[in-house]
Amino acid sequence: MPLKEAHRLLIALQDLDIMIKEAKDKSTSKELESLGFKLTGLEELQDARSKLAKKISPTVLQRYKKLTGRYTMAILPVTGDLCLGCFVKLPTSFFSSINRDLLQTCENCGRLLYIP
Amino acid sequence: METSKLVPFFQEKLCLFHLRSRKKMSVLQEMVRHLAEQKLISDGHFIMEMLKNRESLGSTGLGNGVAFPHGRSLAIKKLIVLFARSAGGIDFDSLDGKPTKIFFLILAPSDKGAEVYLALLSQLIGLVQKPAELKKLTEVTDYKSLIELLGG
Repeated sequence: MPLKEAHRLLIALQDLDIMIKEAKDKSTSKELESLGFKLTGLEELQDARSKLAKKISPTVLQRYKKLTGRYTMAILPVTGDLCLGCFVKLPTSFFSSINRDLLQTCENCGRLLYIP
Repeated sequence: METSKLVPFFQEKLCLFHLRSRKKMSVLQEMVRHLAEQKLISDGHFIMEMLKNRESLGSTGLGNGVAFPHGRSLAIKKLIVLFARSAGGIDFDSLDGKPTKIFFLILAPSDKGAEVYLALLSQLIGLVQKPAELKKLTEVTDYKSLIELLGG
């Protein structure tokens, strides 16, 4: 099933942030460049990130920003009944039909979670 | 990683020996569409956007007729490797400006470290740097021959 729009925007933002981080990271970029890749389009990537961020609600974006300050992954999928960030069991209400499609939060670590 | 250890990454159903597309974006699209048809990804459009972003960082067409489009995403559950070949070659903005005939598409989950796909990339790049192996790769048209080339 395709991802829900709110989830897909945040996942895409996180993917982009990881790509930017890797391109900026001396060790990873050095390794990629030693393999022959030229990482010259960092500015274009940052433009793409800005455009994408504008599509996300300021409140969600603020939460995302706060979480990325604490964790590598701000948004994660749920596996089984666990938060993949802190591995704490999620309450039954998390999986109710009303909540299923919503962007939810782990009550323990605060990460944004979605049911894939 | 020894060459023979590359073999498990390649599945017959993920080899396209006769790409139909003739342009960079449509080649990526053809490969992504194939992954969606094989039910390995649920949202092809999402993966395409990710690959386009990666190409904007710098072309993954490394020259000598080979490209390594790659990316990591939470939308990818496990490492995926797709091999594709275009007999005529495609303009993929490669670093040497020559047409690209061989494609190794690598998609990895983002909740694992970059080292997962970097090790694989490194091994594949090592393989195509051998002129004899590269020549054979550009001519390969079946899975058995590909696996033999990869050291199986």
